[in-house]
Amino acid sequence: MRGFTHYISGLAAATFFAALVGDLRLGILIPVIAAAAAYFPDFVDFKFGKFFARRDYEIDPAPWDEKKHYAPKLVKISELSEKNRYQFFAVEGKVEEILVRGSGKLTYKVLREDGTEETVTDSYNSIVFTLNDGTGKITVEAFGDDYEFFEEEFGKIEEGREMLVFGYVDVDEDGSLKLVVSDAPHPQGIAETIARAIEEAYHEGERIVKIHNIRLPGDVYRQFFVHLDPPKREVRVEMGPIVTPGGVAITDKPPEYRRYGIAKVSVPFIKTYPKPTRIDSFSGPEIAFRRATFKGKTVVKDRFLPWHHGFSHSLTMGIIIGLVVFAFFKLIGYSHATELAIASMIGQWLHVFEDQLGFMGSNLLPPITKDVIPGFKLGESGSGLTNFSTAWLMIAFMIWNFNRFTDPRPIPMSDAKLLLLLAWPSIIGFGIAILRSFKLRREIAELMDYYTNLEAFEELEEVGGI
Amino acid sequence: MIPLSDLLLWSFAGVLFGSLISWIPGFHIFNIMALLVAVFGVGELMPVQAFPFFAIGAIVAYAFVSAISSVYFSVADESAVFLLFPTQRYLLLGRGHEAVLLYLIGAVAGTLVLVLGALFIFPKVLPPIYQATSPYITYFLVAIVVFMFMSEWPKEGDRGKTPLQRLWLAWRQILGGILVFFISGILGFIVMNTNLLPTTSAYTRLTPMFIGFFGMSWVLLNILSNPPMLEQVPEDKVESSIYNALKATFGGALGGTIAAVYPIITGGMGALVAGHMTSQRGDDAFIISQGVNRVIYYVGAFTLLFLPNLRLTRGAAAWLVSSVYTPKSYSEYLAAMGVILLSAGISFLFTYYLSKFIARSFNVLHIKKLSYIVAVVLVVISYLLTGPMGVVVLFVSTAIGMMAAAFNTRRSYCLGGLVLPVLISMTGHTGYFMHLLGLG
Repeated sequence: MRGFTHYISGLAAATFFAALVGDLRLGILIPVIAAAAAYFPDFVDFKFGKFFARRDYEIDPAPWDEKKHYAPKLVKISELSEKNRYQFFAVEGKVEEILVRGSGKLTYKVLREDGTEETVTDSYNSIVFTLNDGTGKITVEAFGDDYEFFEEEFGKIEEGREMLVFGYVDVDEDGSLKLVVSDAPHPQGIAETIARAIEEAYHEGERIVKIHNIRLPGDVYRQFFVHLDPPKREVRVEMGPIVTPGGVAITDKPPEYRRYGIAKVSVPFIKTYPKPTRIDSFSGPEIAFRRATFKGKTVVKDRFLPWHHGFSHSLTMGIIIGLVVFAFFKLIGYSHATELAIASMIGQWLHVFEDQLGFMGSNLLPPITKDVIPGFKLGESGSGLTNFSTAWLMIAFMIWNFNRFTDPRPIPMSDAKLLLLLAWPSIIGFGIAILRSFKLRREIAELMDYYTNLEAFEELEEVGGI
Repeated sequence: MIPLSDLLLWSFAGVLFGSLISWIPGFHIFNIMALLVAVFGVGELMPVQAFPFFAIGAIVAYAFVSAISSVYFSVADESAVFLLFPTQRYLLLGRGHEAVLLYLIGAVAGTLVLVLGALFIFPKVLPPIYQATSPYITYFLVAIVVFMFMSEWPKEGDRGKTPLQRLWLAWRQILGGILVFFISGILGFIVMNTNLLPTTSAYTRLTPMFIGFFGMSWVLLNILSNPPMLEQVPEDKVESSIYNALKATFGGALGGTIAAVYPIITGGMGALVAGHMTSQRGDDAFIISQGVNRVIYYVGAFTLLFLPNLRLTRGAAAWLVSSVYTPKSYSEYLAAMGVILLSAGISFLFTYYLSKFIARSFNVLHIKKLSYIVAVVLVVISYLLTGPMGVVVLFVSTAIGMMAAAFNTRRSYCLGGLVLPVLISMTGHTGYFMHLLGLG
């Protein structure tokens, strides 16, 4: 659920206590602590936990320019090395020598919507030249659609010309570096790193990968998707269009010859959520790959945002919050410290329960329980329907409580009738969410059945691969 | 009630007045109305019973036409030093007119929701709900402020090299927001509780502060960033969906209603709450919901003055009007609904054609030049309303507004200028804080 949904649940929890409502009427605002307690798990995770979390692999497809805080970063040629392969940079220098101007046919593999590969042949124009920025020189290549764009932008490329070139770094067969003109990093680097992390997790236990997003000038982002395909034992990364933070695409996708990155994985793994991971605005995700047992087999399982929904999202934490609130407010002499402590604990528990309605689940009672209990899969955390239904229910509770704790009642109506009148939008909303969740559960069940056949795929692979 | 012909005449005058000034960046209808009353008075040129209808026309026009200034004349610096609003991104893509159309879709939807709500729901539902919840307004207000702080999304921090560096980068922005809120609050407290500004400016003492926080700082950013004047496409085409439009209308209406009914809670705060409640995402939905939100917030809040069984005074315009004349009968309430529909129709056409005109001739007058002129006019307005000290307040609040932009935090933290002193007052601590600041 979204932050405000949790927060308003804490606000509502406080109103169930007549003493706290009485305080609020007198202008004593301390009960707002219950709302802060309800939001506390996310506050801790996103304002602290996230920054201290371990990162075994940090994938930054397009490092930021340190002054402007967006990509591509303007670098000196001497700063580039093989470890920058597939990353997106800008280099400013002088065209030293035109090596090749050519045209011909280009053959490359593309991935269709249904996951099949197809070999495509296109005619292309190209240019290869060396660029020198005073710290070194690098070969620059532009071909296909990128060549057309490059020529449109700069006109005819001549020796001695000063220019700013952006593109991704690649390594030639002889080991020398080159810059391939493009408007995005190549996704192969992302795919390879994730595949390596999965393989290491299988042998070592766990690997956490941080994937940075790609921010471009004008507060727009290059969208990309990470598909984990367990039956094919593949990690596929697809570069998408440039999008606004609101998700509106403002360009086409990159040309097909640099749109996909595919890396094979030599160990079995499963994906617990039936959609690819999309990376665009705000920040990129962290994914933990952990060795686990599935149907008696050792596999690697993914866990999205491993620092989230940990101890902060447990009922145990709710008890601790209740005790701390009680101790502090008793100490400063607040006469309703007990009620406030219980309201704060309930607020935090409501947070845990509301998140349990989604996918991630939580480790509910550590240290008694050791592992995450999967969520009820009623809807995604960002679902407008479940968020609104929950938040509205909490508003209904608040109005209901304010009314029943006021004498004479501002709304002269029986408690049951008033609650029903106030809460019907939430009842309808939850009803629709439950109906929808059946479809989602079916999809997940099908996915898990699919994984059950993993062994069959392994055999196929042994006799020649898929 | 005044004769229908007079009512229509003054309402139309209000729409015309509102339309003519609302497209100018940094101008706010409340400030200009206050200036109008201060300079010309009411009762001589215009009958007092006509003033609420003139005001409705002007406010409806503002809710519609101000889309022009926020789309075409707000900072959209290519280097994107600060994060951009969706409307600014549309402008950078040459789709400013599309952004205005999306806003207008929202504004029309907001008008319909408001009128239907005002005719069939508000008179029955609002009074009991308001009665049950009004003693707890301070609770809601402080809850929203705490949530604003707690929910600030760190825009940086991911790329720090060490955990501590990441934490600092994230918290730099959050702490910046808290600082802006409290500095704004101290300024607001001084302006509200001292004789810094002349007592003759009772209704307008907050005006220079708000001009500085939101108007002047916006205009200065226009000047400093010197945004490119990109060619705009004046085509009547929007990329959205009925689902997104309905969802945005719902969210916008929710946020606008919260802000309209409860004091101090502004449209931005209402939008924050409603955006989280309905889990909105998407630039098109955001712009549509802004249109809905602003109509319901501005026009709806003012309409509450007409509701005979509630008659709430919400917003600066309502306070200004109620000091002269308060509508009393249901016939005036119904007439107000008619005026809202009429004004919305006129404002829609005005905004649509003005947007087409501006989109076609966007690079004729550079924003920077227009911003210089507006900056001078804002200083003059502040001086006329509150004297030389008002201009000092304007400069201080402008600096605070610029700080919010520099820290990359929510501009709405400047509302601390209103929220903090009101909270202090509601909780009975004004004397204590006066003493703390050495003011009494």
